[in-house]
Amino acid sequence: MESQFLLAKAKDDELAVRGECGGAVSALFKYLLDQDLVDGVLTLTRGEDIYDGIPTLVEDSEDIISTCGSLHCAPTMFGDLISKHLSDMRLAVSVKPCDAMAIKELEKRHQINENLIYKVGLNCGGSLMPITAQKMIEVFYDVDPSEVVKEEIDKGKFIIELADGTHKSIEIDELEEKGFGRRINCQRCELKIPRNADLASGNWGAEPGWTFIEVITEKGKKLLDGAKKGGYIEVKTPSEKAIIIRGKIENAMIKLAQKYQEKYLEENYPNIENWDEYWNHCIKCYACRDACSLCYCKECDLEKEFYNDEDGVVPDPLTFQGVRMSHVYFSCINCGQCEDVCPMEIPLAVIFHRMQKKYRDKTGFIPGVSEELPPLFSPEKE
Amino acid sequence: MMKVAHTICPSCSVGCGVNLIIKDNEAVGTYPYKRHPLNEGKTCRKGRECFKIVMENRLKEPLLRGNGLKQSSWDAALDAVVSQIKLHPAPEVGIIISGKCTNEEYETLKKFSKNLGVENIGCHTGSVPSVDLGTATLDDVENSEFILIIGDVIKETPLLGRWIILAKENGAEIFAIDKPDETLTGVNSHQYQQVESISSIIDEIDSTVLEKLSSQSTVIISNLENGDNFEKLLTFFNQYDTKIIPVFQDCNSRGAMNILPILSDDDLSDLLEKIKVLYVVGDDPASIMIESMKNLDFIISQGCMVNETTSISDVVLPGSCWAEKTGSLTNTTGETQEISKILEPPGNALDDQNIITKIAEKMGLEL
Repeated sequence: MESQFLLAKAKDDELAVRGECGGAVSALFKYLLDQDLVDGVLTLTRGEDIYDGIPTLVEDSEDIISTCGSLHCAPTMFGDLISKHLSDMRLAVSVKPCDAMAIKELEKRHQINENLIYKVGLNCGGSLMPITAQKMIEVFYDVDPSEVVKEEIDKGKFIIELADGTHKSIEIDELEEKGFGRRINCQRCELKIPRNADLASGNWGAEPGWTFIEVITEKGKKLLDGAKKGGYIEVKTPSEKAIIIRGKIENAMIKLAQKYQEKYLEENYPNIENWDEYWNHCIKCYACRDACSLCYCKECDLEKEFYNDEDGVVPDPLTFQGVRMSHVYFSCINCGQCEDVCPMEIPLAVIFHRMQKKYRDKTGFIPGVSEELPPLFSPEKE
Repeated sequence: MMKVAHTICPSCSVGCGVNLIIKDNEAVGTYPYKRHPLNEGKTCRKGRECFKIVMENRLKEPLLRGNGLKQSSWDAALDAVVSQIKLHPAPEVGIIISGKCTNEEYETLKKFSKNLGVENIGCHTGSVPSVDLGTATLDDVENSEFILIIGDVIKETPLLGRWIILAKENGAEIFAIDKPDETLTGVNSHQYQQVESISSIIDEIDSTVLEKLSSQSTVIISNLENGDNFEKLLTFFNQYDTKIIPVFQDCNSRGAMNILPILSDDDLSDLLEKIKVLYVVGDDPASIMIESMKNLDFIISQGCMVNETTSISDVVLPGSCWAEKTGSLTNTTGETQEISKILEPPGNALDDQNIITKIAEKMGLEL
């Protein structure tokens, strides 16, 4: 189906004001719940502050209002949360590109039923680790992080808003040069508009108070049409100029990501001595495997007796990381969850991402985007 | 119905944040809690699997010994408890509690014992003595220039170990001491010294190491087989201008020692010999000294899990696990963190503070 662009906003006044960019996404969720097209909506809600994004299943459309607003300091992953705990539900889910990639790979492996799920994509320039974000706000913005009531990323800047309405902003480039800003994985990520979801929505190219939506699938189109007919959203066509601006933003971000790939996967890539030191940290706690949406096997080879080396003080990187890598690297979506959860600060994602890139160059397979399974994929492990 | 809720891992004394995944009032998994400043969503395997504790060997109904342990009503169980406590003079009653309860439970139990006139009370911490010192924070560890580690901290308490790794990346010099030929902490240190026994550390330690102890250094002491060693090492390192972190065993050992007397293995065995009625809260003394319990007339066991002590008890009162309580826990660096009730306790189990209060009410005691 041909792509289609439009601008949308919620008709409900409260959703329009409290939701991001006119609350179109919240209105779509409300429509799906009200019309009993889904049993629940999986999205983020704000916990104790803006650094605390909590995955929340909303089953009553009255509660959708509590999910309004963006949270850039919440690098969550929905893929395995759905496949492990919500696979039997008719679900609508707000997806960052990495969520959509994980879900797509899980659909191909029959761990998520694509007929049961609406994927409402959110354009994403990247997210920040919550503790890093707080330190950054303290050091570079000279603001007590607990006083920030809202944050946003716009025109290359990370902008904070304080309770008294004042704003402070700093160029993300500048923050990232000093080791702050977005997660390293997000810096390297080339998928900024989730065209692997049913819809891709965001503020790039949008007028104030409107959400720019790209319709990707038939299902997404039907959802929009239904919500429009039901009086949940109003829509209009974006100007040619808006479409061009959005395209320019996307291209600039992809170029920047490629620059960062070069920096982290080549120029600053750890050398063999660095890796030896990193593998020495490993406590074989399986956190990387457990955080990986693609590691879905019921019985994991890594726990089989022939890979057991309990006698060694340090686990053999070949029979632990090496085996894990050989099982999933080709499908690595560079979500960075393995690295986020590693208690021993091993930069795992760079090695997986680097290998996947080489595989991609040879085979053309793009995990989370390509429709088919990776070439030579063996279902034996399933 | 699914929800993701913040809590603190109850598996060790580090105090990591974890999110529990709750589905239909059952804990079915954990989810990274990246907002938590101590561990940023990182956990060890015990932390990731702590949700299993909620379901494991749970006590769901009060039990009363007749011909074997039989399910009973709360009233009957509590009446049996009260009549036995009343029957014995206060010096014959003992109360022990584990290092896994909340600060609020320690406070309630302290009041209860005081009003009852019971002096034989304490928290059993195994090898660790009561420590009354300001300990280093985790930021201190990260900013240290020199870190001396006794025990395999990186392997045993990885999320404390992580701060050592971060310090090393910041340029800190790491020195480890332990008994085995090789340890994970040793492998990740600049220097590792193997010693004959922990008690010989003070004699054997390299004098150049001691010269490096300053206000910019941290000594981490863990994994000790007996309390005397721990006390000796604390006294020894306290002479230096260094920061110290003792690694306790349970998630609230540190909180317990702020409120209640601490019992070593010897203290516990002495206490058991003095008394006739034992009230155990959340602990399992029978697993380590069943012999010393043979002369007891009556054992009351309150807690969330079936264990060796519940099986020899006369009354068993089903309590709550950490995810079913609201209160606070104090971690090994002395930081107190709140936990909130996420789940309902199973069956007829009750909140532990509520159980203590019910006993007090029946005894006619004010709390």
